[in-house]
Amino acid sequence: MFTKILTRNFDQPDLHEMEVYEKLGGYRMIRQALRRHTPEEIVQMVQRSGLRGRGGAGFPTGIKWGFIPRNSDKPTYLCVNADESEPGTFKDRHIILHDPHQLLEGIMVSAYAIQSRRAFIYIRGEMAREAAILNDAIAQAEKKNYLGHRIFGEDFDLQIQVVRGAGAYICGEETGLLESIEGKRGQPRTKPPFPAVCGLYGCPTIINNVETLINVPHIVANGPEWFAAIGKDPRNTGPKLYGVSGQVKRPGVYEFDMTITLKELIYDVCGGLTENRALKGVIPGGSSVPILLPEEIDVAMDFDSLAARGTMLGSAGVVVIGEGTCMVRVARRVAQFYAFESCGQCPPCREGTAWLHKILQRIESGGGHPGELDLLAEICDNMKSHTICPLSDAAAMPIESYIRKYRAEFEEHLSRPGCACS
Amino acid sequence: MSKVNLKINGKTVQAPAGSTILEAARLAEVDIPVLCHHPKLANLGSCRICLVEIARQPNLHPACTYPVFEGMEVQTESPRVVEMRKFVLDMLFSERNHHCMYCEMSGDCELQNLAYRYRMDRWSFPSPHPHMPVDATRKYFLLDHSRCILCRRCLRACSDLAANHTLGVKNRGADTMICADMDLSFGESSCVSCGTCLEVCPTGALVDRRSAYMGRTAEVQRVRSSCAACSLGCGVELVVRGGQVLRVESDWDRHNEGVLCVAGRFEPLEQTREKITRPLVRRDGQLQEATWVEALDALVSGLRQAAPGGIRAVTSGAVLSEGMNEFVNFFKGKMGVPVHLLEPALAGSELAADGGLKDVDAADFILVAGGDPLASHRVLGYRIKRAIDKGAEVWLVSGKETEMAHFAARCLGLAELDSAVAHCMESRSPVVVYGADLTAREAGRLARLRGKARFIPLAPSPNGHRAQVLGLEPAAGWAGAKALFVLLESALLQEGWLQEFRRPQFLAVYASCRSPLTDQADVVLPALQWYERQGTFINMEGRNVDVHQAVEPGGEGWSVQKLFDRLSGCMT
Ligand SMILES: Cc1cc2nc3c(=O)[nH]c(=O)nc-3n(C[C@H](O)[C@H](O)[C@H](O)COP(=O)(O)O)c2cc1C
Ligand code: SF4
Ligand code: SF4
Ligand code: SF4
Ligand code: SF4
Ligand code: FES
Repeated sequence: MFTKILTRNFDQPDLHEMEVYEKLGGYRMIRQALRRHTPEEIVQMVQRSGLRGRGGAGFPTGIKWGFIPRNSDKPTYLCVNADESEPGTFKDRHIILHDPHQLLEGIMVSAYAIQSRRAFIYIRGEMAREAAILNDAIAQAEKKNYLGHRIFGEDFDLQIQVVRGAGAYICGEETGLLESIEGKRGQPRTKPPFPAVCGLYGCPTIINNVETLINVPHIVANGPEWFAAIGKDPRNTGPKLYGVSGQVKRPGVYEFDMTITLKELIYDVCGGLTENRALKGVIPGGSSVPILLPEEIDVAMDFDSLAARGTMLGSAGVVVIGEGTCMVRVARRVAQFYAFESCGQCPPCREGTAWLHKILQRIESGGGHPGELDLLAEICDNMKSHTICPLSDAAAMPIESYIRKYRAEFEEHLSRPGCACS
Repeated sequence: MSKVNLKINGKTVQAPAGSTILEAARLAEVDIPVLCHHPKLANLGSCRICLVEIARQPNLHPACTYPVFEGMEVQTESPRVVEMRKFVLDMLFSERNHHCMYCEMSGDCELQNLAYRYRMDRWSFPSPHPHMPVDATRKYFLLDHSRCILCRRCLRACSDLAANHTLGVKNRGADTMICADMDLSFGESSCVSCGTCLEVCPTGALVDRRSAYMGRTAEVQRVRSSCAACSLGCGVELVVRGGQVLRVESDWDRHNEGVLCVAGRFEPLEQTREKITRPLVRRDGQLQEATWVEALDALVSGLRQAAPGGIRAVTSGAVLSEGMNEFVNFFKGKMGVPVHLLEPALAGSELAADGGLKDVDAADFILVAGGDPLASHRVLGYRIKRAIDKGAEVWLVSGKETEMAHFAARCLGLAELDSAVAHCMESRSPVVVYGADLTAREAGRLARLRGKARFIPLAPSPNGHRAQVLGLEPAAGWAGAKALFVLLESALLQEGWLQEFRRPQFLAVYASCRSPLTDQADVVLPALQWYERQGTFINMEGRNVDVHQAVEPGGEGWSVQKLFDRLSGCMT
């Protein structure tokens, strides 16, 4: 039986107040980290814990931290990715709304581990309330000298600054995020160099997701072995938040270890589909990942099991689609999002997303031509792994999967206007 | 430097560590296509046309940004790569209007060339092209958005080379467009018409208005020369066809590194003044066309009547060294007549001219005193702005309002020169740029920095340095002059000079264009046009730079040397 770790206090009233957070044991883990561990020890603990990034790609966090060059004469920065703009994703927002101090503590321990004295929380522009909550929490922490010069009276300085985005999905991509913090147009940079070597203002920089970082104090407090034992698979360790939305009875953010299956999540946790309609498909990890058919949902919600099914855990934003929803429309809507959000640097993405949208729009309105499904597939194929950042892949992969898995429905749309679904 | 061994298309190559695949491929003479890459611009890696296959790596990578490593094996034209390139080209061609037969760039276009190379024979994504605007609000060149491939070379040239930061990008996805400032028309924008963007554009998006449709690369000649609009002596290439200079481009291998300014690139070709192509002699109070023999006769008799004591000679500092030498030899040497300089001279001849644009790049502190490079020596001004972008500190000491003041960290009055000198003493690699507004005393205060700083003079005339070497000084007036010879060439006269000017009994002017001065003359001798002359001048670094004849003289103009050679014959 899994007991909640990250969200265990979320139903406590006024958790965003410092006293409440501290009364529940808050800011003990950072004190312990500062007093008992060297930064290197914490990096090693995170490495041993098996923690993988919760922002989408699932890259091992400790390994990423290890890429910071030693003996650099430049400062190191920590950037917290709270841009959370992926359709179907709302777990980071949930964390910030309920428990901002937990995020601050996560940042403190992580910043200490990578010896960063400046951390930036890059938060999605639309999340004004969440930004205010964070700023308030930071002010409370500064007042108690939990932030600033020699925090907790120890030999470590830390400043945290909230930077609000201006409404571009691409600023969630780590280097687009860096450009945006620098005050430039948010568009990804070509890699290499990687941010760990040359990031914010040309300095070594670590970018981590909100959820990733709140795991870190627990790893330090309870040990990497404890963390690695959560779940079954040593490659998929620790607790995980899932944001379930769409046509389910109880949408919301849920915390489990990664042994939970998609089927359990939909039917046991969320109570099944609204009006008990039949399931048509599930997007398991945000709009950027391939869809799963009803017969494919008996799968553990971890990085590798989903990869084996040809999809991804991504941002763990589960979107449940019931019978009666037009998949051509879903495809068109998803394509529209990426066409609108492409930063416009790489021709395959800039034009590829635009063509996907244009052609799908045509098909949806009954003006498609035979052969266009293959054309779509060809465009998708060429859009993948050929661009500066993976937005192009993120646009192509789901569309490809919709056409492959619901081809009959697309073909029907080609032969006549209107839709059997509606 | 350590070397890295790699294989490109099976060919073994040794490349310096840290090179990109593209650089290594060029060493191996393997041609990888590029669009957003430009050798003088920072790499962006966005157009994806240069993607190559690296053995044991799942993804293709851009050759223009990817660094080489030991044992790397690269395929630059594998089927997978070629398919990708065709897709990128398909996307670019279907994006906007690329009906080449209506395009100025057709035949010279980097995009079109790639379409040939990869055998594009149709549009894979036929669609009505979106209607894109043409921004024709700029005087010298226009931007046709329907030919733009968003490679952002223009933008990087504007920001990184010209340091003007006018160009940017607006909108996202397929709606992305190049724009000026916060989306102004180019005409209203902060663009200074340096034309650097125009020169790097790979397609027919940025088009020079004057030379549009006047000749393709295969049909024109290029003459390397130097711009003589100011004393920087920027390298230029004159693009010539059929005895006509079509446009001025920059020489990327010279110290100006591809950057020119409006005065060097566009204004010289904007011929608004009437050219003088034949000698003129005043008869019955009227200037009338004459033969060279008649003009020389009139000149000789005019000079003889004034006797040596009443003759004065003045040359513009825009005249090339060979002509200026000849002029001084004739008047000072042979006739014992004092020779003066038309333009003001710099105070502070004791200050060196030992700094160049490279020193500006390396400077941590730049002191600009008594002048405004952004007005008089603009490419130097751009280079200073570039240094500011890279962290250099600029202090301006000036008694006037200047453009440079917008960019300087501190603006001081001339009275505060000493504090700037003190700050300069404390910096690591300072450069001093000094102009004609300094008095001799003020210039003397800068002399303390000799040995510490590099000095760049803002000579008020292009070849002012040569004039200084020849000991020429500005005339203090024309009292006592009965006959005056002005070696003007194409120089422009200052308002104030003309107002103070009192016409002597006899006035002879050697000039290429009509002006208020030639209108008053008794004899006007046709000079060569700027693109017809040949010679050298001393630039601000103290180096001789070459000016090459681009076209054969069209009129009866003579070079200064020929004029004084003949005149010597007549006077003896
Ligand atoms: C188009 C795009 C959008 C992204 N948006 C987000 C986001 O909103 N939040 C996030 O944490 N990661 C996002 N990512 C992933 C980040 O680039 C990066 O991998 C992540 O923040 C790293 O953190 P992690 O290692 O803790 O997962 C996005 C990636 C792409 C390509
Ligand atoms: S893939 Fe798309 S979003 Fe990413 S950098 Fe290229 S154009 Fe921009
Ligand atoms: S820009 Fe190049 S490809 Fe486009 S129309 Fe002109 S010549 Fe053709
Ligand atoms: S002409 Fe010069 S200043 Fe104007 S946009 Fe082009 S590069 Fe920038
Ligand atoms: S105007 Fe020319 S240089 Fe600028 S982005 Fe367009 S194609 Fe490239
Ligand atoms: S030339 Fe390399 S990506 Fe454009």
